[in-house]
Amino acid sequence: MNRTIDLTVNGRHENVEIHDNWTLLDVLRSGLTMLGTEEGCGEGSCGSCTVLVDGRLVRSCLFLGVRASGRDVLTVEGLSKDGELDALQNAFVDEGGIQCGFCTPGFLMTTKVLLEENPSPTEEEIREFLSGNFCRCGGYTLILKAVQAAALAKAGP
Amino acid sequence: MILPPFEYVECTSIEEVIDALGDGDSDRDARIVAGGTVVVPMMKHDLLRPDVLVSLERVAGLEGVEQSNGEITIGALARHREVSRSESVREAAPMLAQACGLVASPVIRSMGSLGGNLCYGESASDPSPVLLALNARLHVSGPNGTRTVPIEDFFVGFYETAVGPEEVLTHVEIPRQPRESRWTYRKWTPRAREDKPLIGLAATIRPDGAARLAVGGINPTPVLLGSASVRASDSDLSEREVNDIADAAAAEVDPFEDLQGSEEYRREMVRVWVGRVLRALREVEVDR
Repeated sequence: MNRTIDLTVNGRHENVEIHDNWTLLDVLRSGLTMLGTEEGCGEGSCGSCTVLVDGRLVRSCLFLGVRASGRDVLTVEGLSKDGELDALQNAFVDEGGIQCGFCTPGFLMTTKVLLEENPSPTEEEIREFLSGNFCRCGGYTLILKAVQAAALAKAGP
Repeated sequence: MILPPFEYVECTSIEEVIDALGDGDSDRDARIVAGGTVVVPMMKHDLLRPDVLVSLERVAGLEGVEQSNGEITIGALARHREVSRSESVREAAPMLAQACGLVASPVIRSMGSLGGNLCYGESASDPSPVLLALNARLHVSGPNGTRTVPIEDFFVGFYETAVGPEEVLTHVEIPRQPRESRWTYRKWTPRAREDKPLIGLAATIRPDGAARLAVGGINPTPVLLGSASVRASDSDLSEREVNDIADAAAAEVDPFEDLQGSEEYRREMVRVWVGRVLRALREVEVDR
């Protein structure tokens, strides 16, 4: 281990010993044993490792761990509150927007930012925003439905 | 995938960056990292093995877009997403906003910087042909001070730029474009939208008919198309003129080949897309 970084993960202060050649994904999975964030391609193409750093979406497999020092990180584990899934997670469950589930954390984090920036996106806007997240089960149709359902739920009755 | 070991140096000023890069002659290979979307995957694939990564992330004054009298200055660390959404860029150089909004996918656009894109020296870059068409100037700092490189002199070879190993790109400057210019950027990806362009074509036609076309993804570097960058007899090119220019452009290029397309296919795409772009520009309503 060649340095210690301080960061906030899902609202909790963490002090982690890391190697300089660790990515943020390594910090989460190896340093903190938080296994919700998945490594797919490892080169930024597939989107399954997507997390938020200071509110900005990043691919944690490309984001050097040392860069997370002093930052505020949100991962999929930070979405639920008191053991209850949040509305976005429930929409993915209810609409069947999950098959094997490997890509789901990345889709959830990306969708969270999409709906914060654009609460009622068109189908084209959803497709564009999620174009960097791959589902190798091919479950895109139901993922699209889940995002639309989440947008409607957020807008209220 | 695990990154090979390296030393990480975080700088807060350009002077520190230049110091950390060293003189460029030693055996110690130092590389600049900005958003990490290029350097990190290349290191994971063992295509780069730097001893030192010099981070620009906390260097002051490298972010943001400034506008003065229609001239735009963009910090090398400005992210593609920021450039694509900047009101100043949308107003003074809308084609650059368009191209930066088409790079890869949204999350990569919010990580990767415009300066990183240029210094990668990738031919199939969206912003590079646009900056060629807009006649951009690049500000580069090194141990001997600061110099300005015209974009036409910036791309010197396959993944090679005019930025030396001891230098750092700091700003991109786009000169004021004449009012009532027409412009467009077209990107063709045969497979998926987040891919690099097989061909990316940028074109501007000034009110006096002077055209400037540049293409990425075709030659080993992004290039201006000299034969297509002509002064049209008037701003409305005839069908025959369009076809002649498209043929001349296809004859001029020297395409590379890869899994996405042969030399012949790329040449044909130049003919097709130059024609499409010129025809599209005939239809453009000039709004001021």
